[in-house]
Amino acid sequence: MSEPLLEVEDLRTQFFTEDGVVRAVDGISFTVNEGEIVGLVGESGAGKSVAASSIMRLVEQPGEIVGGEIRFKGETIFGLEDVERDGDGPPEKVPRDDMLSNAEVRERIRGREIAIIFQDPMESLNPVFTVGGQLREFIEINRDLPENEARDLAVHMLREVGIPEAEERYDDYPHQFSGGMRQRVLIAMALACEPSLIIADEPTTALDVTVEGQILDLVDDLQGKYDTSFIWVTHDMGVVAEICDRVNVMYLGEIVEQADVDSLFHDTQHPYTKALLNSIPRPDQSVGELNPIAGVMPEAINPPSGCRFHTRCPEAREVCTRTHPGCREVGDGDGPHRAACLKHEGVFNAGYVESESIENKTTGGFDVGLTEEGEADD
Amino acid sequence: MGIYRYTIRRLLQAIPVLLGIITITFLLSDAIPGDPVQIMLGPSPSQAQIEAIRAKYGLNQPLYVRYGNYVWGLLHGDLGESLYYQVPVLLKIKQRLPATLLLLISSFAFAIVTAIPLGVISAKRRNKPTDHISRVIALVGVSTPSFWIGLMMILIFVYHLGWFESTGLVIPWEGPGPLIAPGNQAAALGAWTDHLVESARHLLLPTLSLGTLQMAAITRIERSSMLEVLSEDYVQLARAYGVSERTILRKHAFRNAQLPVITLIGLQITAAIGGAVLTETVFAINGMGTLIVNSIYRQDFPTIMGTTFFYGLVFVIGVIVTDISYAYVDPRVTYGEAE
Ligand SMILES: Nc1ncnc2c1ncn2[C@@H]1O[C@H](COP(=O)(O)OP(=O)(O)OP(=O)(O)O)[C@@H](O)[C@H]1O
Ligand code: SF4
Ligand SMILES: [Mg+2]
Repeated sequence: MSEPLLEVEDLRTQFFTEDGVVRAVDGISFTVNEGEIVGLVGESGAGKSVAASSIMRLVEQPGEIVGGEIRFKGETIFGLEDVERDGDGPPEKVPRDDMLSNAEVRERIRGREIAIIFQDPMESLNPVFTVGGQLREFIEINRDLPENEARDLAVHMLREVGIPEAEERYDDYPHQFSGGMRQRVLIAMALACEPSLIIADEPTTALDVTVEGQILDLVDDLQGKYDTSFIWVTHDMGVVAEICDRVNVMYLGEIVEQADVDSLFHDTQHPYTKALLNSIPRPDQSVGELNPIAGVMPEAINPPSGCRFHTRCPEAREVCTRTHPGCREVGDGDGPHRAACLKHEGVFNAGYVESESIENKTTGGFDVGLTEEGEADD
Repeated sequence: MGIYRYTIRRLLQAIPVLLGIITITFLLSDAIPGDPVQIMLGPSPSQAQIEAIRAKYGLNQPLYVRYGNYVWGLLHGDLGESLYYQVPVLLKIKQRLPATLLLLISSFAFAIVTAIPLGVISAKRRNKPTDHISRVIALVGVSTPSFWIGLMMILIFVYHLGWFESTGLVIPWEGPGPLIAPGNQAAALGAWTDHLVESARHLLLPTLSLGTLQMAAITRIERSSMLEVLSEDYVQLARAYGVSERTILRKHAFRNAQLPVITLIGLQITAAIGGAVLTETVFAINGMGTLIVNSIYRQDFPTIMGTTFFYGLVFVIGVIVTDISYAYVDPRVTYGEAE
């Protein structure tokens, strides 16, 4: 296996709102190796975008990274250490000496090493500047090229991502581009800066299916050509299957399952992942047969006790309401496979087997799971 | 569509607006009770005198003829003759317009020059002391009537401190003789300097009095608009590509944030024209405001109509300038496909 490019350890990002503390990202750990496409999957509100902006230290007020460590190519993007306070009280957390300063993150990391493609192509380009001008500006900043060379490269990149008549379109404004075209421009921006890692935050969600397919193909091509690593944020398991090498499944600020894409799909270890997989529409289903995940995800401001998924989990037992499972190795064979579910009694030893099943009324598409559970209960 | 074609289209669109203003003022002055002839001639004029005056001003003709004559006159730059001053209305307006324009322009200049930095800084330092101070200033500014500000300033700076003047304006460009005076250049320059200082001493208080409201309103919208733009995805994207906070503020966010500000400034023009009437009264400025108010007292219809028309003209030009600035800033408008 190749070297880890990015290591995220126990990352915690919180928003201090008037209603209370939103624990948007609550202790996630994962790595990205060189040349890999790593998926970050989960429902809306799981904390995927917050995780993405944390990695680039782009979290805005009232949000703040409150703990954990982010290392990139041996540099510390984020890291805290304890300092004893005068008098009593717990030690204070302060940035470590080796943590990059704001200016260093801006100059050395953002754009140059890690680039991001946002969720909404319609909102991500500045409406009052030309498309080419915006692309050129980012190239100038991150590739140290003079204006005319940056311009040539910008036109080249526009061509590369399949914008027809790139030379002429260079001076157009974003409103003259369709959604798919704008997304291509955003991809061109990311690639043109030649970063080692691109974070794609649901880059195809706002697009229709045919355009989505084209964009995925494009990224596949270009990824091979430029050998860039990707973190691919999505809530679509279909997309994950198509492009990812490894996957992290997020639920309410936590990673609940982590595995390479084959074992995640064929040897699923977490009920939430199972539910996500069941919810992928298949061509042989009618709309009525769709299996959306039952219930809604609770608020990150006041997450459920124990296992956070227990309010919706078809396999939930009484112990799940009390005991919080961390993400542990549960795999039985090749490659790491981690999951945060107490049903792996051999790993967690929490007394799941003896514990009583609890009813989750909103069972939706979990019939299979329920029967299994019933059998285990006997 | 290019910006030039857009400008021409906006100018052409102004014609019906002006025609509307003319028609409405004409009809209104006809409908208002009271007979100007009576006012001109005193308590008990003879029938013959009345007839003569009516004939002289064309008041004995039917409405549509008078309307036609009026519009025809307007096209030739003839606004009729003032019943009170007995001089052409256009002449009167030419005398009074500079003071009002000076007041309007200087108070808008003051408002824009102070409000935009204030609003931007406020947004940049959101919820920090600077922001709180600027927000309090803006709140006080929008909630205090401009004539009251004027009166208070006269009390403090004119009566107590004696720093400024409180009556009339000195028009800066109507200077004391030629600026280039061969042989006596030093004296000419000196006279001009004194003149400009005098002009500033007269202009400052009315400008502050009229401009404070504008300043406060623009500050508030500038702040909220900057805050909104600073949280847009495209600003976040610029940050993600390593653009410095300074460049983001000055380039990426600033231009977008000006769109609502421009709209507001356009709307403020109407408010300022009204405010100018009060300001002129408080500071005893012989401008359009006092002219129109006095003409209403005197039922001097030609003057009322003429001044109203000119106010309409100032307003329409203001709106066109606003629209063109908007189109200049926002490429979506220029191409006629506003989203
Ligand atoms: N600026 C903010 N202030 C307060 N809470 C926030 C803020 N931004 C995000 N959150 C909260 O953080 C949590 C995670 O949000 P996030 O945007 O990361 O979700 P996501 O997984 O990206 O979802 P989606 O698929 O909708 O993009 C949510 O509960 C959200 O309400
Ligand atoms: S720990 Fe319990 S509630 Fe949580 S996923 Fe596993 S079975 Fe479901
Ligand atoms: Mg998101």
